[in-house]
Amino acid sequence: MTEMTRRERILAASRKQMTDRLPFLHWWRHMQIGWAERECRNRGMGLAWTRPSYGVKMNQVVVTEEKDPSREGGVIRITYHTPKGSVYMDEKREPGTFQWHADRSWKDVTPWALKRLIREPQDYEVMKFIVENTEYVPDYFPIEQVNDWLGEEGVSYATLPKTPMARIMIEWIGSEEGRFYIHHRKYRDKVDELYEAFCQSITPLYEIVAKSPADIIFCGENIEGLLISPPLFEKYFLPEYERMAKIFHAHGKLMAVHMDGRLNVLKELIARTPIDIIEAFHPPPMGDLPLGEALKVWKDKVIWMGFPGAIYELGPEEVKKYTFDLLKEIGTGERLVVAMSTENIVSNENMLALTSIFEKADLPLTPEKISRIEKSIA
Amino acid sequence: MDEGKHIAALKEAVLNMDYELMDKAAKEAMAAKVDPLKAIMEGMSPAMAFIGEKFQTGEYFLPELIVAGDVMKEGLKIIRPYLKEKGSQGEKKFLIATVQGDNHDIGKNIVGMLLSLHGFEVIDLGFDIPASKIVEAVQKHEPGIVGLSALLTVTMPRMGEVVKALKTAGLRDKVKVIVGGTSVTPQFARGIGADHASTNAAEGVEKCLEWARS
Repeated sequence: MTEMTRRERILAASRKQMTDRLPFLHWWRHMQIGWAERECRNRGMGLAWTRPSYGVKMNQVVVTEEKDPSREGGVIRITYHTPKGSVYMDEKREPGTFQWHADRSWKDVTPWALKRLIREPQDYEVMKFIVENTEYVPDYFPIEQVNDWLGEEGVSYATLPKTPMARIMIEWIGSEEGRFYIHHRKYRDKVDELYEAFCQSITPLYEIVAKSPADIIFCGENIEGLLISPPLFEKYFLPEYERMAKIFHAHGKLMAVHMDGRLNVLKELIARTPIDIIEAFHPPPMGDLPLGEALKVWKDKVIWMGFPGAIYELGPEEVKKYTFDLLKEIGTGERLVVAMSTENIVSNENMLALTSIFEKADLPLTPEKISRIEKSIA
Repeated sequence: MDEGKHIAALKEAVLNMDYELMDKAAKEAMAAKVDPLKAIMEGMSPAMAFIGEKFQTGEYFLPELIVAGDVMKEGLKIIRPYLKEKGSQGEKKFLIATVQGDNHDIGKNIVGMLLSLHGFEVIDLGFDIPASKIVEAVQKHEPGIVGLSALLTVTMPRMGEVVKALKTAGLRDKVKVIVGGTSVTPQFARGIGADHASTNAAEGVEKCLEWARS
């Protein structure tokens, strides 16, 4: 097979086509730009870049941020004032936040909410007002710019916020102390009403994103089977994915969903979704579904795997050993793209260790080919 | 007084995860002078243990476990004032915390809840807890087991700091240390000097029960 560019390789695999080599890449937002990154890219590592394709306008909502110096450790209170009342959240920002790239700290961690927007029953009405008065405006410049910068080096993803229930559950109510489940039991009508309003108000955004010049549409869900039980997934997530995919597919776009948790309990339901790419899939020990099994159960899907951070902690030799075990369970290697990481910064040593394997992983993989690579880097 | 009827109502409230029924059943049971300890031990606890078992076998999921636990907590709020002062539940004390820099507490809460169903006295320090506070709590409560939780790979090293601090304070040999979270591995646990690594609650609970038996 003729040698593909990094972009061609990633896109072909994402469209379930055969590629010359196993595509591997690094997410821009997690990448250490420097000598090792350049070396790995020269040896075949691609790039993936997420950017928004829209702006957000909240009508009749005033947002204020305050920092109380008497509170320890950079805690910011963000308040949303509306004619229906106000809601606030307290956010802790680690050093580096907004200093290198957006809301990531030097250690690549996003801020965490100490207090979330929905705590009391009366907060639902305010949040409903906010979602009903939120407008989305197309802005394709960020993606046009990154497409121009990337060229054949990689692919762009148009980002979306989490789907309505993921946002309500994970971001607005929160799972700490089981709060979401308790609200879902005690105030079911309010939760459902907010969910319905949100589904309706976000629909125009799906059209905007589908028309963007990005290659793939990315939904940053953080699906985790322990947190999102099968009944919740079936009721609130599956229908929304169906609705979204219909719009994206009509515009020829691939739909990727960030599923970085334990997925074993959800595997059959995920198989029923029209999602094209299961992004950030983590095999054991961090996830609970082996990669080989996931490829079998999701026959019509592509997996973008996130290399497990827990293995990186063990150093480059363990990384290599783990990777060879992984290669032995994935058959020919089709329908797979490996991301260096979807969560953390990777050390140069670990990134080079992975590159030394993947640069030689010509497809279709065979046991003989894997054994040759093993010998060549021993 | 039909004690059986009141006990059954308390049980039903937990099994059906029904806040209103719990409020009514607990108030009526206390008004009817049902022994509060019996109300807890024969009414709510077996129902909660049933939910816990279903969770461990995968028939129930986290929402059921959390909500049933919360319904039981509401009942305890009503019944507890009627209980005569009782001492500690004994030797099976388990202290648990999510380490500093990490606010993920679901795994920690599940382990705490399941262990309390198995008769452990659970001291839950919460999340984002510095090593010094964990050491202070170990000195104060003298648990047999310390559970440390972290979800993020960037906060995992904090678990090592806690083990080190326990050692410095001369407490390491007095407690078993179990670490949990999706990123932990047996190699990691060995590396930081913990006794066990667990990536799922059921297995972690089994290990604690094994230690408690030995």
